[in-house]
Amino acid sequence: MIQANVPLLTTERLTLRAQRPCDFEAYAAFYGSERSRGMGGPHDRATAWRQFASELGHWVLRGYGFWMIDLTETGETVGLAGLWNPEGWSEVEIGWAMFDGSEGKGYAREAATAVRAYAYDTLGWGPLSSVIVPDNTRSQALATRLGARPERDWVAPAGWPAVIWRHPGKEALA
Amino acid sequence: MTTPVLTTDRLILRAPDKRDEPAMLGFFTGERARFYGGAYDLAGAWRYFAAQVGHWALRGYGMFAITAKDRGETLGLAGPWHPPSFAEPEMAWLLTEARHEGQGFATEAVGAALAHVFAVHRWASLPSYIDRDNGASRTLARRLGAVPDPDHAAPIGNCETFRHFAPEARA
Repeated sequence: MIQANVPLLTTERLTLRAQRPCDFEAYAAFYGSERSRGMGGPHDRATAWRQFASELGHWVLRGYGFWMIDLTETGETVGLAGLWNPEGWSEVEIGWAMFDGSEGKGYAREAATAVRAYAYDTLGWGPLSSVIVPDNTRSQALATRLGARPERDWVAPAGWPAVIWRHPGKEALA
Repeated sequence: MTTPVLTTDRLILRAPDKRDEPAMLGFFTGERARFYGGAYDLAGAWRYFAAQVGHWALRGYGMFAITAKDRGETLGLAGPWHPPSFAEPEMAWLLTEARHEGQGFATEAVGAALAHVFAVHRWASLPSYIDRDNGASRTLARRLGAVPDPDHAAPIGNCETFRHFAPEARA
C-alpha cells in the first residue's frame, strides 16, 4: 500500500496540494533554470524527474514533504513549498520555491506560513529550520520576514554551501 | 492508493516502503549499484529509492519490493520503471545483496511481476535495458523468454534491449 496521503492546505489565495504527474513539465522547466540553484539545481530533465518522483516518495517514507502551490482562483501552479528532510539533510526544513513570474506577490510568504503552521499545530513540531544558499537574497528576505534568523553554516550532501536559518517556535509566534 | 500484492511460492511482492529503506540504501551505496548508475552517496541513494517509491504515486504502478515470504526480509525490487526519458516502461529488477543470488528469487519475482503487468496493463511487450557487462541479468532475461531487440536502442549507455512479450502475443 502506497500512502502518499498529502493533506490539502488552504490560505487566503492559495491551495497547497499533492504533486500530480501533469506538474512535471512546469517542474522540469523550473529545475532546468538558474532559479533552482537554491534547491540544488539546475538539473537535466532526467534528474529533475528523479527529484520530482523522490518528493512524492518522501511523503510515503517520511509522512510529510512538498506541496504544489496553486492559486485557488485560477488553478495556476505558482511554485512549491513544504517540509523536507531527505537522508543526509541537517534536520527537517521549511522549503519553498516560486516558478518564473510568480515572485513579488507574497505567495511564497503565504505558503511558507501555512506550511510552518501545519508543522507546528498539526505535527506538533518545535522551531524549524530553513536551508538557504548564501546568495539567495530573496529567500533570505522572506526568511527574515517570517521571523527566522541565520544560525550556522552548513554544507549540503551534494557539496553546496548553505546557511541554516532558525524560525521562531510556536510560542514565539503566538 | 491501494497497490497490488503478488504472492509466489517463496516471495511476497508489494509496493516498496520504509521497511525496505536499509536494504535499498545498502544496495545503492554499494558496488552492486554499478548497473544503476552508482554507487551513490547516502543522500543520492535515498533519493533514488524515494523516486522508486514515488513512481507508484505518479504512474499508478512501479517496482515491487521482493520480500521473503517466511521472514519478511527485503531481497530486492522488480517491476516496471518509466521515467520520461524512456519511450515505454521498462521491466527492471535488482537483488540487494550477492547472498540473495543463485536461489531463483529473481526469476520467481520477475516472472510474477511480468505476468501481473501483462494481465493488468494489457501491454503487448516490455523492454529490459540490460548492461552488456551484466551477465546475471542477461541470463535471467533469456530464461524468462525475453529476446534481444536490436530495433529499439536502449536509452541507457552500454545497455542492450531485451524484449518480453505478453503471453497472448507469444502464442
